[in-house]
Amino acid sequence: MRVLGRPSGVKASRTRWGRLVAGLAVVTLLATACGSGSGAESAGITDPTGTPNGDGEKLTVWIMEGTNPDPKPYVDELKTAFKKETGADLDVQFVQWAEAHDKFVSAIAGGTTPDVAEVGTTWTPEFAEAGGLIDLSEAVKKSGLESDLVPGLVEAGTIDGKLYGMPWYAGVRSVIYRTDVFKKAGVEPPTTWDELVQAGEKIKAAFPKMITFPVPGDSEYGVDPFIWGAGGDIATEKDGTWSSGVDSAAAQKGISFYTGLATEHGFSSPAATTWDEADLSDAFSRGQVAMMISGSWTPGALIDANPDLKGKIGAFPIPGPDGGMSPSFLGGSHLGIFETAKDKNLAWALVRMMTTGEFAQKWSEQSGFFPGTKSLLKKVQQQNDPLVAPFAKQMSEAGASLPVTELYGQIQGKKTMAAMLESILSKKKSVADATKDAAAEMDDIFSKG
Amino acid sequence: MTQTIPTTEPAAGVRPPAAGRRLRHTPRWLPWALVLPALAVLGLLLIYPLGWVGVLSFQDFGLRELVTGERSWLGLDNFRDVFHDPLLRTALPNTVVFAVVNVALTVAAGTAVALLIAQLGQVARAIAVGAIMVAWAMPAVTVTYVWVFLFDARDGFFVELAGHLGLVDPDQTNWFTERLAFYAIATVNVVQHGFPFVAVTVLAGLSTVPRDTLEAAVLDGAGAWRRFWHVTFPLLRPVFAVVTILSTIWDFKVFTQIYLMPGGNGTNRDVLNLGTWSYITAISQNRYGLGAAIAVLLTLMLLAITAVYLRTLFRQEEL
Repeated sequence: MRVLGRPSGVKASRTRWGRLVAGLAVVTLLATACGSGSGAESAGITDPTGTPNGDGEKLTVWIMEGTNPDPKPYVDELKTAFKKETGADLDVQFVQWAEAHDKFVSAIAGGTTPDVAEVGTTWTPEFAEAGGLIDLSEAVKKSGLESDLVPGLVEAGTIDGKLYGMPWYAGVRSVIYRTDVFKKAGVEPPTTWDELVQAGEKIKAAFPKMITFPVPGDSEYGVDPFIWGAGGDIATEKDGTWSSGVDSAAAQKGISFYTGLATEHGFSSPAATTWDEADLSDAFSRGQVAMMISGSWTPGALIDANPDLKGKIGAFPIPGPDGGMSPSFLGGSHLGIFETAKDKNLAWALVRMMTTGEFAQKWSEQSGFFPGTKSLLKKVQQQNDPLVAPFAKQMSEAGASLPVTELYGQIQGKKTMAAMLESILSKKKSVADATKDAAAEMDDIFSKG
Repeated sequence: MTQTIPTTEPAAGVRPPAAGRRLRHTPRWLPWALVLPALAVLGLLLIYPLGWVGVLSFQDFGLRELVTGERSWLGLDNFRDVFHDPLLRTALPNTVVFAVVNVALTVAAGTAVALLIAQLGQVARAIAVGAIMVAWAMPAVTVTYVWVFLFDARDGFFVELAGHLGLVDPDQTNWFTERLAFYAIATVNVVQHGFPFVAVTVLAGLSTVPRDTLEAAVLDGAGAWRRFWHVTFPLLRPVFAVVTILSTIWDFKVFTQIYLMPGGNGTNRDVLNLGTWSYITAISQNRYGLGAAIAVLLTLMLLAITAVYLRTLFRQEEL
C-alpha cells in the first residue's frame, strides 16, 4: 500500500508484484486507452444540502480493500440507509490497494471511473490535475462542514484553493513501545529529543540483545517528523514552483538526529538499513524491538501476530526537540466524486453520509483509523484508550501533510528520501552530502515534471 | 501435399529432389497463410508492444498524456536525459558486468553438470535430471525470497554461519547494502536458477557426439580435458551458441531477482541496474517516455553485445 504502509511482510511483497503486474497491464493498455477523454459531463453539485431523489438510479462506489477487516455489514447498512433516504441503489466494489492506482489511471483514461471512490490522500492531487475529480469546495462550504474537517486532510486535498477530496479517515504515526521493557529499564516515555537518547541508552544497557530504536532505511515516514520537528521542510511552494528543503540547516539537523540514533548511538541495527515498515513491524512482533515509529492502525495487527505482546504495548507522540510534539505525516483517504458521475447531487449526498455522523464513526471504529472530522475525533480522544489517545493527540495537534503536488508522488516513486536515508545509514555518504543529493534530485523532478 | 509428383529421375544425392519441386507447385501465399495465425499472435503480443515502447521513448508521456491522449514529441531528449543521468554510471556497469559474469558461470556450471550426468547410470541420471528440473521450474519470485531469507541480516542462515565461524559480527552485518555482496547473492540466485536449462540442453547435445570419435581420442592418449575441448566442444558449438545467446538475453534484462532483494527497489542506488531503473522510472514515477527510453537503450545494447559476443566466440561459417 503506497499511502500508509501495511503491517505484514507478505502483503508488502504481494504489493510489489501487484504493482508490477498492474504496471505492465497499463503499459499494454496505453495502446488502446489513449485518445478517449472523459465521457459526457453533467451539471455539478447544484443542491448540496438537499435530499436528492434518486429513484431507479444506481451509484458505483469504489472502496479500498483491507482497511476495514470485515466491511460487509457496514456496506449493507449503508445501502439500506441510502436507499431509504434517496431511493437510489449502490454498487460497492472493493479494490486492492496494490492495483488501485493503475486501475484509477486506466479508468480516468477510458472514462470509466466510478461515481464516488475512496482516493488515497497522496493520489488526490494527481487525479484532480488529470481532470478526473470535481471541485467540492462550494458544496462543503454550503453544507456548513468547512470548519469541522481535520486540517491536515483538507490541506492534502486542496490544489489552488479548491478542495477535491472530502476527508474520510486517516491514520498517523507515533512511537509504539514495549511497556514491560521500559519499566524494567526504569525509563518513562521521553518528551524531548535528549530524553529520547537518554531513555535509549538505558534500554540498550538493560536489553543489549534488543534493537532499541530501529531506523529503517526504506521508510520516509520515519524521518519526516524529525525534519518537521527541527523546523525544516521537505519542500516549499513559491509562486507555483516547488523547491526542496531537505538540505536546509534545520532539516539537516533533524535528519542528523534521526540517523544519529543508528550511526552514533547504536540504537538501530545494520539490518534495518534495508527494512521497510513491514519488516519493522515483523521485527517488533517477534519481540526484537523496544520502540519504533509506527502507525495508529498497527497495534491490533502487532498483537494478532504475537498474542504475547498483549498488555505490553504502549504509545506516545513523537517528541519535539525541546518538548511538545514533532509533526507526523497524516495519511489516509478522501472520498472523491468523479467527473463521469451523472447525478452529482446524489453522489454528494452519499459522500456526506459516509464522511459525517453515524457512518463515519462506525467506519472509524471498525477500521481502527481516525475519522476526518474534528467533532468525531474529539469523541475518540475522550475514550482515553492508551493505544489510541496518544495517536489521536498527535493527529489533532501535530499532523502534517507531504507536499501537495503530483510531482511529489514521482519523488516517492523514485524513493528519493529512502535512498538518502540508506546512503547515510550505510555510511556511504555524510548527512550534508546525502541531503544535498536528495535536494538536487527533488528539484530536478520539480523543474521537469 | 497431394501435388507431389513422383520423380522418375535417378536420385543424385541423399536428398530427393522432390522437395525442390514441391515448392514450385505450391501457391506463393500458402506458406504465409499457414504461419499467419502464429504471426498474428506474435505480432499482437510482442511486436506491437515493442513498437509502442519505441514510439513512447521519443515522447514526453506521463499520466496527463495517458488521460488526455495528447502527444508531445521530444525527439531525442529522453535519450539525452538518460545519458546525462548520474544513475547511468552505476546502472550500466551493474547490468553489463553482472550479465557477463552470470552468463559465463551459468554456461560453465550447466556444462559441468551435463558432463557429470552423462557419466551416470540410468537411475541416477533420472534422479539428477529430475532434481535440476525442479530447480528450473521454481518461479523466480520464490527462489529470490529463499535466497534473501538465507542471506538475511541478523538471522539469515549464512550470516549466522559466518558469525559462528568468527568471520563477521551478525549484529553488524548487512550484505545487501554493499554492491559487491548484493550482486554476489544475486549471482548465486541467477546461476542456480539458470544452470538447469544449460545442463539439460547440453546433455541432449552430448548424446549426439559419436562414441567412436571419443574412443579414437582416448586411443590417441587424449585426457578428459582435451577430449572436451577438441572433440565435444567443437561438435556442440551450435548448442553452446544457443544456450549462450539465451543466457545473455535473460541475464541482461534481469529484473525480478534484483528488484525483490532488499534495497533493490531503488532505495539502494548502488545496486540499480537498467531493468530496475526503467521500471522505477516508467511505473513508479509514471514517466513512461523516459522509462521507455531506458528500455530501448537496454534492448539496443543487448542486440549489439549479443552480436559481438557471438562473432568472437563462434566463427560465422561454423554456425
